[in-house]
Amino acid sequence: MGGSIPLLYRHFSHADPPNAPGAATPGQRIIRRMERGPERHRAVRAPQDFWAGVSLVALAAFSFWAGRALDSGTLRSMGPGMMPRAVALLMAGIGVGLVVASFLRAGDALERWSFRGVIFIMLGVVAFALTIRSPGLVVAGPLVCIVAGVSSPEARVKELAVFGVVMTALCVGLFRYALHLPIPILVIPGVVVL
Amino acid sequence: MGDLFGNLALGFGVALSLENVGIAFVGCLVGTLVGVLPGVGPIATITMLLPVTFGMEPVSALIMLAGIYYGAQYGGSTSAILVNIPGEVTAVVTTLDGHQMAKQGRAGVALGIAAIGSFFAGTVATLIIAALATPLTSIALLFGPAEYFSLMVAGLVFAVVLARGSIPKAMAMLLLGLLLSTVGTDLETGADRMTFGWAPIADGVDFAVLAMGIFGFAEVMRNLDVTEKRDVVKAAIGRLLPSREDLKASAGPIVRGSLIGAGLGILPGNGAVLGPFASYTLEKKLAKDSRRFGRGAIEGVAGPESANNAGAQTSFIPLLTLGIPPNAVMALMVGAMTIHGIVPGPLVMTRNPQLFWGLIASMWIGNLMLLVINLPLVGVWVRFLRVPYRLMVPAILLFSCIGIYSVNNSATDVILTAAFGLAGYALTKLGFEPAPLLLGYVLGRLMEENLRRALAIARGDLATFVQRPVSAGLLVLAALVLAVAVAPSIRRRREEVFQE
Repeated sequence: MGGSIPLLYRHFSHADPPNAPGAATPGQRIIRRMERGPERHRAVRAPQDFWAGVSLVALAAFSFWAGRALDSGTLRSMGPGMMPRAVALLMAGIGVGLVVASFLRAGDALERWSFRGVIFIMLGVVAFALTIRSPGLVVAGPLVCIVAGVSSPEARVKELAVFGVVMTALCVGLFRYALHLPIPILVIPGVVVL
Repeated sequence: MGDLFGNLALGFGVALSLENVGIAFVGCLVGTLVGVLPGVGPIATITMLLPVTFGMEPVSALIMLAGIYYGAQYGGSTSAILVNIPGEVTAVVTTLDGHQMAKQGRAGVALGIAAIGSFFAGTVATLIIAALATPLTSIALLFGPAEYFSLMVAGLVFAVVLARGSIPKAMAMLLLGLLLSTVGTDLETGADRMTFGWAPIADGVDFAVLAMGIFGFAEVMRNLDVTEKRDVVKAAIGRLLPSREDLKASAGPIVRGSLIGAGLGILPGNGAVLGPFASYTLEKKLAKDSRRFGRGAIEGVAGPESANNAGAQTSFIPLLTLGIPPNAVMALMVGAMTIHGIVPGPLVMTRNPQLFWGLIASMWIGNLMLLVINLPLVGVWVRFLRVPYRLMVPAILLFSCIGIYSVNNSATDVILTAAFGLAGYALTKLGFEPAPLLLGYVLGRLMEENLRRALAIARGDLATFVQRPVSAGLLVLAALVLAVAVAPSIRRRREEVFQE
C-alpha cells in the first residue's frame, strides 16, 4: 500500500515525467528520495493514502445517496441497484483500509497542485464550450489556444495569438473540409452561418 | 496451418486496399509524431482521433488507431535515443544504451537497429497473433456467462497486479470505473441510474468524454507540473545502416527480445512494458562482457526495442479473442469498436472475419511502413523534437476540444470532459493511476450483464461461480495471483522488478 520504496517505474509514468527539474537521471532521483529519509512522526503517517482513502469513502457514499431509490432486487433477479451498491461497498472498504493503514505505516506526502495550469486549462476549455456554437470556431479556436496556453509559465501572449489563429485555420481546413465534420465555423444569428 | 495462411490471405486482401493502406500510413505517421513529441501519449491521441474515425469503415478505423499505437512505439525510441527522454514508457530501457550510442556519434546505427529489430518483432508477433487467434477464440466460445464473468474478474486482477503502483489503489480505480459504467439507463430494467435526470448522461457517461478527460486534459495538467529541458544530441546522426558486425551482434538479441516481448505482451496489465526490461536483463546476463552495457552496447538497444514492439502487438490477443482489453490503449480500442457497433469478443472472428484478419494483416503492413517512415525521415523527427511544450499545450487542447465537440456536437460534453480532467488530475495527486479506471469502465456493463445472467441461470446461487470448473479455476488463479502479489516477500520482489 503506497509503498515507501518509490518504484523507479513511477518515475517514467506520465504522472511524473522523467524530464523532471535538474535533469537528474532516474537513479539519482531515487537516491535523492531515499536520502530524504523517513517522514517525521505524526498521527497520519501517509497523508496521501489518508486522503485517497477519504476520497474513496466519500465517492462511495455519494453513489449510495445518488442511487438510494434504486431497487437492489434479489440475487436471482438482480435489480438496477445491486451492482452499483456492491461496487460502492467494495470501494468504501478499500478506502477504509487505506485510511487505517495511513496511521500505521509511513508513506508519501500529498503532492502540490499547480494551480496555474489547472485554472487556465479549465478556463480555456470552458471558453471554447461557450463560444463554439456561436460565434463558432473562428472565435473559440484562438480563444482556447490563448487562454489555455497561458497555463505554461513560459507562455508569450503574442506568440500564442498568432499560433492560435494559424492552428484554427488548419483545423477548419482539416476537420470541416477534409473530414467533413459539422463544426460551426462562423455563426452570427441572423447574419451569417458558415 | 493451411487455414492460417488462408485467413492471412483474406486479411491482406482487406488491408491492401488503396484506402486502407493510406489509412495505415496516416496512422503510423501520426503515431510516430506522437511518440516523438513531448507530452502527448498514444492514449490522448487515440481519443482525439476517435471522432475522426466515425465516418470510416470499422476496419479502417481500427487500422488507423492500431497504427497510432505501434507507431508511437517507434517514435518513442527515436526520442529515447536522440534526447535521452523515452517518448513512451516502453522505450525507457532504450535510453540506457541508445543515448550513449548517440553521444558516440552512432545515433543512426542505434535508430537503424531499433527499426530493424522492431520490424522483425512485428513480423513474429503478427504470426503469433494469427496462430493463436483461432484456438483461443474456440475456447472462449465454450464459455457461459459464469465463466465469462470469472474470466473478466481474472483479467482485471491480472491487469492490476502487473501494472505499476499500489495494488489497493489500482483496485479502487477499477471499482470506480465499474461504478461509472453503471451510470445511465440500466439496459435490463430500464431504470434511470444516478443521473439525477440530467439528459447528457442519460445513456451513460460517454466513453470519449471520460477517456479524454482523465487521459487527455489531466495529462496536460500533470505535464505542466514539471518544467522540461530537452537536450537534443549535438553529434551527427551518422550512417543509418548497421554494419555487418553490428547485425551479427544484434541478431540474437532481436530474436530473443521478440519472443520475450511477445510472450509478456499477451499478459493483461502492462505486458508491453515488462518485455523490454526483461530483454535488457537477459542480454546483460548473456553478454561476455556485461560492463559494455550502459556504455553504448548495441545489444542493449536491439533486444528491448524488439521486445517492446512485439509486446505492443501481442497485447491485441486478449482483446481480439476474449474481448478483454489488457491495458488502457486496448480499452480505447474496445470503445472504438463499440462505437462502430462491434462487440469485442470471440464472436468478432466468425462474424467479421474481414475486420479481424484485416486488422492483423495491417499490423505487418504498418510495421513495414514504419521502417520506411522512420529511417529516411529521421531529420524531420529531430526537428519535431525541438517543439517547445508551451506550444504543445494550446495545440493539444484545441484538437481535443474539437474532437470532443464533434462526438455528439455538444458543447456540454466539452465542459463535462473538463470536469473529468480535473477529477483525473486530483486522482493522480492522490496517487491513483487512471488506467484501471478505464478498464473497469469498459468492462463494467459486460460484467454486470454476465453476472446477472449467470445468477439467473443458477437461481440466485452464488456458488455457481465455484461449482463450474472453468469458472472456479479462473477465480482461484485470480485469487492466487493477488495473494502472491500482496504477500510481503513477493511484494518486495515485484517492486524490484519494476525498479530494474
